[in-house]
Amino acid sequence: MTLAAPLHDDPHHLTPRAQGVLRIGVKAGNRLDTLRQSGASKALFPRHAGGDLLAVTLNTAGGVTGGDRFSIAAQVAQGSHLTLTTQTAERIYKAQPGQTARMTTEAALAPGARLDWLPQETILFDRCRLRRRLTVDMANDAIFLGVETLVLGRALMGERIEAGFAKDDVRITRGGDLIFADAIALDGAISDQMAAAWCGGPANCLASVTYVAPDAEARLNTLRALMPANAGVSLIRDGVLFARVLAADSHDLRRALIPVLTALRGPLPPTWTL
Amino acid sequence: MATAGRCRMPTEGLLTLMQWLSPGFPLGTFSYSHGLEMAVADGRLRDAAGLQDWIATVLTHGTGRNDAILLAEAYRSDDAQQIDALARALAPSRERLLETTAQGEAFCTTVNAVWGLDLRPMCLPVAVGRAARMQGIALDVTLSAYLHAFTAGLISAAQRCMPLGQTQAQRIVADQTPLCLSLAQAALTQSIDDLGGSAFLADIAAMQHETLQPRIFRS
Repeated sequence: MTLAAPLHDDPHHLTPRAQGVLRIGVKAGNRLDTLRQSGASKALFPRHAGGDLLAVTLNTAGGVTGGDRFSIAAQVAQGSHLTLTTQTAERIYKAQPGQTARMTTEAALAPGARLDWLPQETILFDRCRLRRRLTVDMANDAIFLGVETLVLGRALMGERIEAGFAKDDVRITRGGDLIFADAIALDGAISDQMAAAWCGGPANCLASVTYVAPDAEARLNTLRALMPANAGVSLIRDGVLFARVLAADSHDLRRALIPVLTALRGPLPPTWTL
Repeated sequence: MATAGRCRMPTEGLLTLMQWLSPGFPLGTFSYSHGLEMAVADGRLRDAAGLQDWIATVLTHGTGRNDAILLAEAYRSDDAQQIDALARALAPSRERLLETTAQGEAFCTTVNAVWGLDLRPMCLPVAVGRAARMQGIALDVTLSAYLHAFTAGLISAAQRCMPLGQTQAQRIVADQTPLCLSLAQAALTQSIDDLGGSAFLADIAAMQHETLQPRIFRS
């Protein structure tokens, strides 16, 4: 960034800081127990065919930039089932110098509870700065299905990330024990880093699918058969299934993910169409 | 502080490290390819240049940098159990988890027996970090030696599953030495927050290795 940037390019004028807090509690019968929404975070509860409670979150600020803070806290009571998705893909725009956006999601799953965390893609733009963290604290027999997708610049638009920072952390504890962690770190010339052999190569997008459930092992062969070329799945330890899927663009990635997620939960929310 | 332990001379610490990290130390390192066997089997990794790329990515954006951070944190911390739990949780596949836990357990067994330590079974980088701290071996040397041994182990695995001459193999190890040193230097000031990577295709190869037949490696 040049020091002589004209005023109208000053990101402070274009992108004020946004904050959003969402708290969702689900009780027996898959009914909403608590809902608190503030700032730029809202949740909608559309009617749908499944028996689970479907919450669709939206960011009324229209995107995320450096210094923004978004948090979601979900509590799923014994035997209940919550599905969380986003209304649109989340866009992480250019950050102001020295500022980093933070997005945190924390979920607590009681015995027999189930959470499906199915946000749409997160699209990184040039000069973004993001720290994202998903924490799941689940009972031994609870079920967690999660997908998180990163699109590193929109390939069809010729976008590249010459500079930026994205740290994406996942921590899952089951019965109090840490059983899964993922840490994606992209720093600097992110498009070049991704293009390195054995990082992403030609792939511009990646998705991580995590399924923690007592029946995870029984799903392994089904998922192996559904993996496209640049993808892998492993039953890392008992009850913990993890897949990483790479693709050239977000459309290809979604086409690969839909059968995988459908195999792990049945029909997807209407936001997950091609 | 790092040199204030039981080793009176830095050379003594260096010799201990050389013993721990030599191919003759009974860790079973020869059983693991870190997913390399898969990359070779499906034709994506064919020659010395491809091997250089694979190693550089695994070191810079994958297990190399993360093992260095875990080792350094285990060296500095009084709660190795928590770091070990994180090291296990970060394994991206079942065979990678086996690779780091089985070698770590073997390391602890031998070090406990020979040096009289009381290490509980831990992942390899965590175990090496704890043992080096207990023996008063400097952290920077431990990190460099660990990363160099990791590199040499991977090249040795490559020699058994692809055409690679002995001289060529040693040249690749030597070429990666500056990278090992810079990653070791970086880990001195890094912490748990810095853990992370982007060696996605290398990790995917390790996942795909689970169904590879025939195979000579356990990962």
